[in-house]
Amino acid sequence: MDPSDEALCERVARRDEAAFDLLVSRYQERAYRLAWSILRNGEDARDVSQEAFIRLYETAGSFQGKSKFSTWFYRILVNLCLDHKRKHKWWKLWIRDDDDDRSDTILDRQPAPVNDPVDKLSREETLKALGAAVERLAPRQRAAVLLRVQEDMATYEIARVLKCSEATVRVHLHRALATLKKTVEKR
Amino acid sequence: MARHPDTDLVPYLRGELPPAERERVARHLEECPDCKQDTELLRDLLGNLAHAIGEPPEISWPRYRAELRAKLEARRALVPWWRRPMPLALSASLAGALLFVAVWGGRELTKSPDAIGPEEVAIGNELGLLQEIRTVERLDLLEDFEVITNLDRLASERQG
Repeated sequence: MDPSDEALCERVARRDEAAFDLLVSRYQERAYRLAWSILRNGEDARDVSQEAFIRLYETAGSFQGKSKFSTWFYRILVNLCLDHKRKHKWWKLWIRDDDDDRSDTILDRQPAPVNDPVDKLSREETLKALGAAVERLAPRQRAAVLLRVQEDMATYEIARVLKCSEATVRVHLHRALATLKKTVEKR
Repeated sequence: MARHPDTDLVPYLRGELPPAERERVARHLEECPDCKQDTELLRDLLGNLAHAIGEPPEISWPRYRAELRAKLEARRALVPWWRRPMPLALSASLAGALLFVAVWGGRELTKSPDAIGPEEVAIGNELGLLQEIRTVERLDLLEDFEVITNLDRLASERQG
């Protein structure tokens, strides 16, 4: 039987390198994808998700098992992403990031569920507009939406990751989705 | 009609609400066409969002892990000197030095500046004069007494 994430984390606290490698393998894709969804830049997402694993290695001893390992780890990751965005906000005002990966979405590769080319185009455009609207959300609203949609987290889990109350998460989600709904309704 | 359950709609759709709250929201949706329409829109929106957000560019995972390992090693090398593991001989020497300082420092601290040490007492025993300390202390008085008794003579000597 595979060891649980929590058991592996305990071993990482005792500097078990094999346990760390196993945790990295389990979470690398999810961590990278979530970081990319928040940062919208492949290089930044790689750097920040790697930094999250380093923090995991350094602070594994502080994981007390009160929440799931994934919740604890996502808290580290999301905080790093939000810090990164905050630190680089001024820079983005001056330089447009040409490496921005926003155009490289799954939309370009996924077949639309409809056959009519006009409908397909319309749907793709709507989804692109929706993706762009997600990008414009306030950082914590965006993080709440991504944790819900991508990681399928419950409200209480999102609250733990963002270190706020469940009521605050509900408000974040309500406001974010109201904004996104307007984007869809405009089209 | 009760207030619109705006912030409860997402948890309602995910089936997170406790039974009483779920019942309350369901009853409201039956009575409020606007909220019902909103809920349907939200359901579609949440379904579409996963596609709208898209997927990140693909990367090589072995390379990702190799980079991570290199960064971790570099971070370890940056550990401040006081947190690095110390060789046993150096640790033992440092511990010995600290013990020495603690013992001798402690002994020095127990002495007050005016206290007489055992060495000083031994020297005092050798000096017989210190045994007659009361007489020594009164020598000034005896000198003064002599001056007083011979005051007349001193005065005449100065005039002469």
